[in-house]
Amino acid sequence: MRKYQDMVFTTSARLVRNDAQAEDISQEVFIKAHERFEMLSGSPAAGGWLKTVATNLSINHLQRYRNRWRFFSELGGGTGSGGEDLPAVEFAAPETFFEGVDAQERRAWVEDALAKLPDHQRVPLVLYHFEDNSYDEIACRLGVSLAKVKTDILRARAALAKLLSRGGESMAALSH
Amino acid sequence: MSPNDPEKLEASMHRLLRSLPDRKAPAGLEARVLGELSRRASLPWWRRSYACWPTPVRAAFFIGSAMAAALVVFAFMIVLRSPGAAAVAGGVADRFSWLFIVREIALTAEARARVLFGAIPPLWLYGAIGAIATCYAALAAIGAATYRTLTFARQTP
Repeated sequence: MRKYQDMVFTTSARLVRNDAQAEDISQEVFIKAHERFEMLSGSPAAGGWLKTVATNLSINHLQRYRNRWRFFSELGGGTGSGGEDLPAVEFAAPETFFEGVDAQERRAWVEDALAKLPDHQRVPLVLYHFEDNSYDEIACRLGVSLAKVKTDILRARAALAKLLSRGGESMAALSH
Repeated sequence: MSPNDPEKLEASMHRLLRSLPDRKAPAGLEARVLGELSRRASLPWWRRSYACWPTPVRAAFFIGSAMAAALVVFAFMIVLRSPGAAAVAGGVADRFSWLFIVREIALTAEARARVLFGAIPPLWLYGAIGAIATCYAALAAIGAATYRTLTFARQTP
């Protein structure tokens, strides 16, 4: 469990954006793993199995509350928290955001920007970049159209880049 | 980088996100999981899910349920085929004979209503429907306005 707990917690936390809920989900994942201990112990696929279960439980958790926070809103209006309402601006390549920033700060910075994205953008983005799901798989998993998944991921990347460049400007201002 | 260059943005975002290390799980997670496992393990088998029941008990429960279902179906068939089934049906019909009276009353009321509404000029009917709709809308508006006023008054310190 010690070997995989960070991975399981991170998978859940990035999807549900709430540490307490991610901890609950992680607990459920390990209880399910314990029920299949004979199958998983010593199996090289144990990590993948845990990650898949963590992802599925997190998505189930999000879908349970979809009406409350308009998870798959086809309106796609967004709350503006992800920076999607900002005018399109030129931004530097993401690698250049972190010049002179140590690894710990960089991690916190990106995680914070990721958490600021609205749910309908963050979830497909996480599934695509962290879980290596294809657009089709994400559309199928979330029960939305392929076009919406592509649009949401595209907007999520742009919003994340804007959030990171804004963060970079404020960091630069702080350091001067 | 231009926001209109999605391929470059995708590649650099992918590199950036994949370079992130895993977050540290809360220190208490392991203890929580172990505590929950021991709590569940201490439950007697009949308070756990069916999948956790001992195999002989599960088999016995399955056979018992199937036998009970078969018994119910068999008993129903016997009742239906028995010579007294017609008498039972007659008894049931007697018990619910008041439904026929209700039906007669409803049919009579419908016939009277047809005659009555036929005698009223259509303009009066439309006027009455309009008045009722207006009253309903006014009531809803007053209710909504009162609710908003009271809610706003409660939220304002």
